[in-house]
Amino acid sequence: MTAIIETHNLTKVYRTDSVATPALRGVDLSIGPGEFVAIMGPSGCGKSTLLHLVGLLATPTEGTVRIDGQDTAALGDGGRTRLRRQHIGFVFQRFNLLPTLSAEANVALALRLRGRRPGDRPREMLAEVGLDAKRTRRPHQLSVGEQQRVAVARALVTRPTVVLADEPTGNLDSEASGLVMDLIGRLHRQRGQAVVLISHDRHVADRADRLLRMRDGRFLDS
Amino acid sequence: MLPLANILARPLRTAISSLAVGVGVALFLVLVGLTSMLDEIARRTTHVEAHLMVWPASDQVVVSGGLPADKVEADLEGLPGVAGAIPVLRWPFKMAGRVQNVYGIRPADWGAFAAADQIVEGRSLEGGPEMVIDTRLAAAGGYRVGQAVERWGREFRIVGIAREGVAGRVFMPIDTVADALQQTTRRASFFYVQVADPRHVEPVRVAIRERGLNVFTMDEFYDVLASSFVDMDKVVGAVVFVAGFVCFLVILLTVYTMVVERTREIGILKGIGASRLQVFGLVLAEAGLIAAGGIVAGFVLTWAGRAAILHVQPLWTVAIPPIRHLFAALLALGGTFLGALHPAMRAARQDPVESLRYE
Repeated sequence: MTAIIETHNLTKVYRTDSVATPALRGVDLSIGPGEFVAIMGPSGCGKSTLLHLVGLLATPTEGTVRIDGQDTAALGDGGRTRLRRQHIGFVFQRFNLLPTLSAEANVALALRLRGRRPGDRPREMLAEVGLDAKRTRRPHQLSVGEQQRVAVARALVTRPTVVLADEPTGNLDSEASGLVMDLIGRLHRQRGQAVVLISHDRHVADRADRLLRMRDGRFLDS
Repeated sequence: MLPLANILARPLRTAISSLAVGVGVALFLVLVGLTSMLDEIARRTTHVEAHLMVWPASDQVVVSGGLPADKVEADLEGLPGVAGAIPVLRWPFKMAGRVQNVYGIRPADWGAFAAADQIVEGRSLEGGPEMVIDTRLAAAGGYRVGQAVERWGREFRIVGIAREGVAGRVFMPIDTVADALQQTTRRASFFYVQVADPRHVEPVRVAIRERGLNVFTMDEFYDVLASSFVDMDKVVGAVVFVAGFVCFLVILLTVYTMVVERTREIGILKGIGASRLQVFGLVLAEAGLIAAGGIVAGFVLTWAGRAAILHVQPLWTVAIPPIRHLFAALLALGGTFLGALHPAMRAARQDPVESLRYE
């Protein structure tokens, strides 16, 4: 079966003036359809960089990223955007909801950006995450846990092939973390999309099918 | 949805930016509208049943000396092709707070200046110390038929009010004006000349010019009068340009600030699937909404400005045809687009990862 995400010798070096800082050093990764993978590692080990590269938000210095079998190396910004829209849903650490829009409008935006009419889908998605009653509220009117649940709804409303979650519980207390991870796990089982999740929290990472550890831009195991 | 939500999230900044655009729109419409005053004067002056205007040779067109009325009239009417020569003696006369150019004419010539139904109240001139004024002057000064206007110890009675559009705002019998000017010899400031056959206007004009007089067709005089204050157009043009440039700068600064403030938001948008073109379009859409608000504000300011000007100067003309509103709106949108272009391109090119890290 074709891996939904596949990287080979993935390398990223950040250059500032004459200083080169390697963030990823030749990472090989393969994520199968429907697989739930957690990546753990100390701060600065390259976890977020890896997520940004496989999420096509950044381009590698060396190596390849394949999404659903398609090599992204030759794609321009427009091609990466199309592929990202088609396959990827992002859950950011800091919720990253748009403050001027309601919860429902934030979820609907993901569909509108893809040229789709939202219809009832945002509301249905908010109902799945238990926030239908608060769909008209703006982010500042929601708790941090509720905001993250809206972010999960936004990531999933487009039915992506893979969900990339960068420290989704990083800013949440234990109760809210549990709720969000229960949600991610339930939706993963119901919908079958792959999940790649970054976390410092072992309790969060243990929910995954597979755990990968990173240090200094490399996997310690695979 | 998102552009509207974003500009409403900063109501004061949006209002100020829109107001700047509105001021530019209003300045353009009102100032250009004011330049129509000259056109209005030119149109009235040439709205006479005649083919030529004859002026003394040595004077500027706008400020006239005098011609010996009887002699010149006889000369003109003796020319082949001339059907009639109408003398006009102009006299500065203060009414409604402003100096008006009284048209001193023979009462019998009234028909050349106004149609039969042009008198809306009272009657036309018959003779003596009387005047006919136009509706705008009547409204501006609160004048009515039967009212006497006193100047230099004399009373001039208003006997009629004519619908605006006649050559002058005030008409008096030419003899009355001559008497008031204490002329010993009848003089005329200029003549309107009627040509029997309109196809022979040019030969008549040549013949009049050979007698050492300045002569214009009605169209020529219209052009001369309408363009006689060229510098005013330049000043208006300069003010309009500066107003437009200020609008451009305000939009540039506002949109640039918006983009910098929402660096992180732009990263979010790209993260959830927005393309560069969509980000570019969203920024322009916000600028467009500010411009739309500014255009509406500009129209309101224009209406208020025009009303204020006409309240203070009721005899001025501020002509703003509907099509010019469209032109002003397009100018505002064009200026807004130019002002927002650089910030929008900057937003579109932002690196999403760097944007997401932005605090």
